[in-house]
Amino acid sequence: MLFFSYFKDLVGREVTVELKNDLAIRGTLHSVDQYLNIKLENTRVVDQDKYPHMLSVRNCFIRGSVVRYVQLPPDGVDIDLLHDATRREARGG
Amino acid sequence: MVMGLRRFTERIGEGAGEPILDADNGEELMHVQPGVAIVLGNRAPESVGTLYITTKQVVWLSDVEKERGYAVNFLSVSLHAVSRDPEAYPSPCIYTQIETEDDDDEDSEGSDSECNTLDLSKITEMRLVPSDPSQLDSLFNIFCECAELNPDPNEEIEEEHNWIFSADQMEDDNAATDGVDDSECLLSENPANPIGYSNGNHDLARTVLELQINDQRFEDAEEMDRDTNGGH
Repeated sequence: MLFFSYFKDLVGREVTVELKNDLAIRGTLHSVDQYLNIKLENTRVVDQDKYPHMLSVRNCFIRGSVVRYVQLPPDGVDIDLLHDATRREARGG
Repeated sequence: MVMGLRRFTERIGEGAGEPILDADNGEELMHVQPGVAIVLGNRAPESVGTLYITTKQVVWLSDVEKERGYAVNFLSVSLHAVSRDPEAYPSPCIYTQIETEDDDDEDSEGSDSECNTLDLSKITEMRLVPSDPSQLDSLFNIFCECAELNPDPNEEIEEEHNWIFSADQMEDDNAATDGVDDSECLLSENPANPIGYSNGNHDLARTVLELQINDQRFEDAEEMDRDTNGGH
């Protein structure tokens, strides 16, 4: 739940979603749900040579289970808040 | 568990009608889209057919060849997108990526696509090209809706946690530090919350806000930030 809450705070920001099949897609985070399914808008593929056909799809739905990493905008990371939230999550778990 | 793309031939009636669904397991038809061509991998488009989107899978049945049809479970659809860039594909389409058993072999599809024998389990990309491109956005949204109905069975967020809560409890809990954790977990009680709507969840916004408020009010004595907050 921690990351669900956290990603929701990043809606509207530019993120890069790296999939388990090595495809990395950059776009504006449109929404995220509790399964960490991710919707991006105005997407583009980071490695366009490898995936030319994925050039600029307008909107894109990515299944949460195929996401390996999400790269965040540096100023979207509130380290203190995350620090506290993770500590709470660990204590509560 | 991952099944990828498969052939689908079970049609109602004398093989001409709608696909036969797994009604016993609650599968329902969500949307029918006639006039859709299907493109598998790098192959040429196949003749026009009808797209059936159900609560569990995407089924495409050829209008011409009654024994030709394909299906893929939403569990295997890793990604779907609206593609309108003519450089990406000449016709506007729904682009999907399909998770297959052995993703390592997917790079070999270039050679496979030249062969006549089509191994559906190796197909990692599927395009659905509606004859009416104005349908793309609504198709995309239906795909989203149905994908959200099919979370992975081994998802971390499981109901077996048995979080028990009530509105009263939530209010009480918010007054205590420990309660913050519980109120966060409320979200897991709402598994059907669709992706598009969840962002308007004011409860969550409130929870996050309270989390921050509580950060200031309830600091732990044993924590390292004692020096910044001074003595008690």
